[in-house]
Amino acid sequence: MTAPFFKYGMFGDETSLVIAFAIGIGFGFFLERAGFGSARKLVSQFYLNDLAVFKVMFTAIVTAMLGVTYLSWIGILDLSLVYLTPTYVLPQLAGGLILGFGFVVGGYCPGTSVAAFATGKVDGLLYLLGILAGTFAFAELYPLVARFHTATSLGDTTIPQYFNLPYGLVVFAVVVVAVSGFWAAGLVERAFGAKGVEERSHP
Amino acid sequence: MRKWMSALTLNQKLALLALTLGLVAIGARPMRGSVVTIDARDLARIVATEVDHVGVEELADWIVAGRSDYRLVDLRGAAAFASYHIPTAENVPLAALPDYPFGRREKIVLYSDGGIHSAQAWFLLQAKGYRGVYILRGGLDEWKDTVLFPRLAENPSPADRAANEKRTYMSRHFGGRPLTGGAIQAEAMPVEMPKVEMPAASPAAQLAKKKRKEGC
Repeated sequence: MTAPFFKYGMFGDETSLVIAFAIGIGFGFFLERAGFGSARKLVSQFYLNDLAVFKVMFTAIVTAMLGVTYLSWIGILDLSLVYLTPTYVLPQLAGGLILGFGFVVGGYCPGTSVAAFATGKVDGLLYLLGILAGTFAFAELYPLVARFHTATSLGDTTIPQYFNLPYGLVVFAVVVVAVSGFWAAGLVERAFGAKGVEERSHP
Repeated sequence: MRKWMSALTLNQKLALLALTLGLVAIGARPMRGSVVTIDARDLARIVATEVDHVGVEELADWIVAGRSDYRLVDLRGAAAFASYHIPTAENVPLAALPDYPFGRREKIVLYSDGGIHSAQAWFLLQAKGYRGVYILRGGLDEWKDTVLFPRLAENPSPADRAANEKRTYMSRHFGGRPLTGGAIQAEAMPVEMPKVEMPAASPAAQLAKKKRKEGC
């Protein structure tokens, strides 16, 4: 039995949607349990008094990275068949800035807005409507941005491939960066975590 | 040691675990090497169900539609390739196949004159762990007979007529001509292969196509 299961044809498109649904529900559940269904919690990372978002996301990255590394090392996962989002340097930088801007203004990122809406938050619903409107506008304006959308393409690349580094070394470096980041985040929270800010106002 | 461990918080223990795993992972080589295991039953199933085949008319449709989510590979020699090849094909002689830089995630369609070389190449690539490998059913021979020089029924029924029209269109599109009645009798027909030179799809276009197929 080798993963990725879908690429090895263990199930078809329809089944994959059911599985994706189950994973999505799980993802939303854990976002909510981490407190990410609240815009207050999310934006407090921009005020530097609660860096839980940074810590949770980096923990997820490190956990998944180590899992994928070891699974493929012992031969259960064929890493070369795992889908990579192709890299387009400038369009993705621009997209990241737009997303970050929306995050600061709206208090959510796309996934957390769905989780917020699922728990009945009106701002989550408005944020979702904004996502739909933005998607629609992008699709309608696509001819104008089509050239930029596919500019500076690097294809399906990874950090070890691009910089020609040993795979394991990059894994270790990311772990070190994450752990130092957690340590630094603790310092930052202590420095900026003003006692007046109460982000636990959600139930 | 025990005391020292219990002095740590759970977070610190987890961080330590991550660092240890990361340190060990320095030696990890997760990309598969050249040694692979073949699941013979799985291969037999693929062969028996013929899910690894692409029909020539299907391929013709792809080319006309301008699809670029596949790579068409001509396994014949360079001379044969130069005199004629199916549009969008790239020439990879069988000997060069093991080291040819295919992407593991690509859909690869193989063809040769008949079917034997394609089948051998199919096994070779399967053994190397490529999963999206397909054989053009009947190879170039079938392409000539069905797409370039289709034999049209002499007195088509209304149902056949639509099929005939499509065959004629396809044949003209690829620079061939449909054969009817007399031409079929003349067995030694002078088959001049059309000159086809199509610009290869640009990598950017290919990526754009791929992107829409998959991803979040």
